[in-house]
Amino acid sequence: MNFSLIEILAAGSATLAVLMCGITSLKAQLQALACQTALFAGICVLVGIQQHAEHFLILALVIFLLKAIGIPLFLGWSSQRMGIQRDTGVTLNPGITLMMGFGALLAGYFLTPQFAVQSAGNPICAGISLALLFIGMLLMITRRLAISQVVGFLVMENGIFLYGLTQTHGMPHLVEMAAIFEVLIAVLIAGLVIFRINRSFEHIDVSKMRTLRH
Amino acid sequence: MNKLLLLALCPMIIALLGLVPRTARWLPKIAAVLMIIQLPIVGWLCSLIAKGEMLAYGPFVMDGIGTAFTVITTLVAVTSMIQAAMILPAERIMENPRMTDRRFTLFYTLSALFILTMYAVPLATHLGYLWIMIEATTLMSAPLIDYHRSRGALEATWKYLLLCSVGIAFALFGTMLIFASQHGLPGGGTMIFNHMIKQAQAFDPRLLRLGFVFCLLGYGTKAGIFPLHNWLPDAHSEAPSTVSALLSGALLNCALVAIWRLSQVMLASSQAALVHQLLVPAGAITVIAASLMLVSQHDLKRMLAYSSVEHIGLLTLAIGIGSGPVFILQAFNHSIVKVAFFLLAGNILYLSGTKLLSKLSGILKTVPLWGILLTVAAFAIAGSPPFGVFISEWLLLSKTFAAKEWLAAIMVIVGLTVTFIAISTHIGQVLFGKKINPLRSAPVWGWAIVPMSLLLISLLAGVSVTPSVMNMLTNLVNR
Repeated sequence: MNFSLIEILAAGSATLAVLMCGITSLKAQLQALACQTALFAGICVLVGIQQHAEHFLILALVIFLLKAIGIPLFLGWSSQRMGIQRDTGVTLNPGITLMMGFGALLAGYFLTPQFAVQSAGNPICAGISLALLFIGMLLMITRRLAISQVVGFLVMENGIFLYGLTQTHGMPHLVEMAAIFEVLIAVLIAGLVIFRINRSFEHIDVSKMRTLRH
Repeated sequence: MNKLLLLALCPMIIALLGLVPRTARWLPKIAAVLMIIQLPIVGWLCSLIAKGEMLAYGPFVMDGIGTAFTVITTLVAVTSMIQAAMILPAERIMENPRMTDRRFTLFYTLSALFILTMYAVPLATHLGYLWIMIEATTLMSAPLIDYHRSRGALEATWKYLLLCSVGIAFALFGTMLIFASQHGLPGGGTMIFNHMIKQAQAFDPRLLRLGFVFCLLGYGTKAGIFPLHNWLPDAHSEAPSTVSALLSGALLNCALVAIWRLSQVMLASSQAALVHQLLVPAGAITVIAASLMLVSQHDLKRMLAYSSVEHIGLLTLAIGIGSGPVFILQAFNHSIVKVAFFLLAGNILYLSGTKLLSKLSGILKTVPLWGILLTVAAFAIAGSPPFGVFISEWLLLSKTFAAKEWLAAIMVIVGLTVTFIAISTHIGQVLFGKKINPLRSAPVWGWAIVPMSLLLISLLAGVSVTPSVMNMLTNLVNR
């Protein structure tokens, strides 16, 4: 079986996502996120070369600068200022989460025929983007700290972008840019809210925020 | 200049003024006046639409649904901002010096931008821009919920931001799936709804169906369809009442407009069965679940939030049976009454310092006027004649029976009955009983004018719905 370079990069990002399920150190997790997003920038460049469209190169640059460097740096800086290093997870320990991450990858593989666009090539990428969606959700559910939940959200977002990149004939690039920009603002607002949570609750453990009841 | 841009003029001025902290003393009044100016502007634009003129700015087009929801959003925004001009400065005196000028004026900037994004959603006739605008409403409104900066407000903000972001991420995935479903078309497909509807037969049904399901999950989270409604009661109860009114009266409609537009694409692609199978049960279950949760409420604003969830269920049902006029009418009636109700709840919260139902009693003796208005609002929202909500719920039920959805119709009837009992019991507790000692004094008549006029509009809407009005709405939807 021959794999294209795009598929190999996507597989690399999926491996990193599974690894993230088992990592408890916040710093290592942010580094994994940065690497994963950098791989996406690479995929974006490859897609641009394949389709002979320059705007993919600009998109790749934006993804690399904002999402692969900017956001992890911002989150790392915030966690450092709040003195947080580790997220032990809430219901599942990291080992079990890691296994479930593999399960998500498997689920993505089996769902590939449902989601892939045959004419676009790279059907494996459709499965991988689904797996990233699942893993992002898994991270959001099993992690305790508000910052790790943001990381989970970004993994989800990466998976969705992978799908848009590899399975469509290029989304209108204005829409794509705006979407990236909005993710950036969402992360900034989340960061501000996390700071405020840290100040008024003296922790950012989301599982302990239970004032509001139904 | 493009005429449609006039819609954005007044909110933009407010947003810019809000950037200057020195305006804090007079900004509330200026904002109210500017929003009142918005009324004739929207009226003029509507008269142009009625004459058959096309108003468009890029992908933002004032089509039938867009016009209807622009009117609803305008009414909600104007009334909320007028009430805000009265209640927020008074509240601020209580909270000083925790509330700085900067924070106060920034609240106005964000409110104005929030209103602006809510104008943009129903006008967006492009799948991608629709998504962008809905995400923008989340980003603009999240800081508004945290206005009071209490722990509860912070928790609600976090929940809102996170759940709605995840929901909107699902919607983005759905958007991409729908775009990918056009892989067979020359040029890679389109995202403009009108073009999509024309070419819908050539879409890949497998990806289109998946895309619709993902979009429904995403926008359904934003609208608060059961069981994705978790953020809604928290955000509505912790936000300042004027923001709750905006959230409930305008924001929830926005997400439903998105679902409506997508359902039109699905119908054009002969996928009506899926729309029907998903939305009718979702709506009916939401109505009955919300009505059951209404029974055990102990917080006035939370109760109103669950009542909103119930009405979202009714609106989802209206989309499910494909009745555009009923959808618009029900959205209008619910928004008008719910805004009045939230503003009254805000008044009572200010007066008594609590929104706990167990601590509120004897409002009818303490402030008779507010008590009477509260009674009227409770009857109106619970769907009693002759108010607008009754008419639209009646029409919805008859359409549901006509569509032979017996189970859904019965569930809705049970839900509405339970709601009626629950709301009258809770509000009865607030109205009667021992007189409470007001914590502060408030201008009774001044603060009652806005809710009173909204309830009057609801009454008018109830008595003026004739077959000719329904015909007009049908024509509007088909434009």
